Amino acid sequence: MSVFLALTAVSCASGDGESKLLINEVLVKNVANFQDDYGQHSGWIEIFNKSYGSANIAGCYLKVSSQPGDTSSYFIPKGDVLTVIKPRQHTLFWADGMPNRGTFHINCVLDTINPNWIGLYDSGKKLLDSVTVPAGVLSADLSWARINDGSKEWEIKGTSDSKYVTPSTNNQTLDKNVKMDKFEEHDKNGFGMAISAMAVVFSGLVLLYILFKFIGKVSIALSKRKAMKVKGVTCEKEAKEKKLGEAQGEVIAAISMALHELQNGDHDYEETVLTITRVKRSYSPWSSKIYSLRETPNRR
Amino acid sequence: MGEFINFLGANLADFWTYTGFANATTGHVIMILVGLVFIYLAVAKEFEPMLLIPIGFGMLIGNIPFNMEAGLQVGIYEEGSVLNILYGGVKSGWYPPLIFLGIGAMTDFSALISNPKLLLIGAAAQFGIFGAYMIALAMGFDPMQAAAIGIIGGADGPTAIFLSSKLAPNLMGAIAVSAYSYMALVPVIQPPIMRLLTGKKERLIRMKAPRAVSHTEKVIFPIVGLLLTCFLVPSGLPLLGMLFFGNLLKESGVTRRLAETARGPLIDTITILLGITVGASTQASEFLTFDSVKIFALGALSFVIATASGVLFVKFFNLFLKKDNKINPLIGNSGVSAVPDSARISQVVGLEYDPTNYLLMHAMGPNVAGVIGSAVAAGILLGFLI
Repeated sequence: MSVFLALTAVSCASGDGESKLLINEVLVKNVANFQDDYGQHSGWIEIFNKSYGSANIAGCYLKVSSQPGDTSSYFIPKGDVLTVIKPRQHTLFWADGMPNRGTFHINCVLDTINPNWIGLYDSGKKLLDSVTVPAGVLSADLSWARINDGSKEWEIKGTSDSKYVTPSTNNQTLDKNVKMDKFEEHDKNGFGMAISAMAVVFSGLVLLYILFKFIGKVSIALSKRKAMKVKGVTCEKEAKEKKLGEAQGEVIAAISMALHELQNGDHDYEETVLTITRVKRSYSPWSSKIYSLRETPNRR
Repeated sequence: MGEFINFLGANLADFWTYTGFANATTGHVIMILVGLVFIYLAVAKEFEPMLLIPIGFGMLIGNIPFNMEAGLQVGIYEEGSVLNILYGGVKSGWYPPLIFLGIGAMTDFSALISNPKLLLIGAAAQFGIFGAYMIALAMGFDPMQAAAIGIIGGADGPTAIFLSSKLAPNLMGAIAVSAYSYMALVPVIQPPIMRLLTGKKERLIRMKAPRAVSHTEKVIFPIVGLLLTCFLVPSGLPLLGMLFFGNLLKESGVTRRLAETARGPLIDTITILLGITVGASTQASEFLTFDSVKIFALGALSFVIATASGVLFVKFFNLFLKKDNKINPLIGNSGVSAVPDSARISQVVGLEYDPTNYLLMHAMGPNVAGVIGSAVAAGILLGFLI
């Protein structure tokens, strides 16, 4: 029970120990970038759910520090349905120091001069992810972000048309299917796909063939040995002559006969259900009539 | 009084705009006729009645014209309607794995286990999928659509629905109906190809009787089959996992009740829901397009390619086999996974040339291998394209 409770409490961490919630993008100095619901420009921290299942961030902690020994900690409130992040989606926290403005407004602001260390902790205060946003490299409205959602490498976004700031959305806009484009470019007639896919189909089934060829041989040897033991034959040669362990001709004849009858409609109609079940009558006080019937009351 | 009569008249006129008669189009009539043909083929010709009756009747349901502007929530494409909710199992692809569970629980893999080289025929027949994929690309479909269309050649309705729901949901109705139609038409499509590609001598080849398969082997097969195929193609897990799980329920011998449910009430329920919703998804406004016509043409081609490649592969394979171990090429067609129809075709065509040569039990090997092969192929396509 306690294990179950522990598992349910740690909703932010994935089962394999690797966090499914990541800090994905941070914008420290917001001058003309994304506005919050109050029309304010504040720094923001984007969290990304990299898993293919929903993740609830409620109960987690967001910690920010720009000076050693000065760490502010924000407890993400419970009871807000918006704290559930859908698979592969993002959520944004405003670093405006105004937690009374709602769940997504944390109790501190990001330092525009010193480096900012940001950590995301689960409800058990285990570190899920952290990032240090370097100082002096981010001018206004530039963000420090993972190159792609969830990737290990970080870069400055907002410096060119190909590196744009992306609050609450993918760090690289997915405007094409890379795999499909590759096929369209390199395999226009589908020949490559046919060859590679058929190679995989064949290799899978060839592996199965090899394995069952081996299992079959072992099985034949075992059944032969069993048959020899039953018939009291010790000589291999004699066993081979007597075809021990092989299906008998009578069996094959019976199957062929049945098929022949079915094919020609010769089979007579009869009751097709034959049930032979051993009747079990084990005694139990629960099944005893004596205990399940009330005694007839005696009238005096 | 006059005002009241005017009110009644206006009311009836308004009602008329809601009736099927007022909303009928030529497309609806065509699709209703197609549905009736399906029902006719199922009842009169007994072509796959379990599939064609639900699909044919589903076509009638899906093509009853109604006022689509009225928000009646009756159409299959209207969110929240009963049909739409039932269609969810097709759209999100969870009916096919349940069908595979039932197929696994009713399939006897003994023929395959006793002669595992027949697995390779099931692999060869999958060329129908990739042949159709290449032709679909040439016809202008994009790779994802081409893959979803190509899978029709696997002759496996649930797999076709599963893959098209992932790769080309907009073509799913046409692909599903095409796959099931050609599965029903296997007795018409396959025999001429088999006769064309085989010689008289080859058709008379008698194959060795399959050996008896032990219970242990039957139990090992689904476990090893799952581990091996799914480690290679994890994207095929929903289909292969359920197929082998169903088979283990059957072969373990200790879960009889579960196996009976899987191969009985469960598969019947899902077949009904799948058939009726796939049929109803052929709403004329969505279905009657030039793409659907192309898909039907490609579907037929993929069946022809699959059958031909199965038969030709056996002929090629025979070049390497000892004289007493040769395979009758008439079982090559059964590599397409229309179970058990294509195996039955091998038997029927085989008997035409030698009334004492029973090929059914041999043909069941490649037939069930085809089920595994088409699910593996679907997994590969998913892995390559998503």
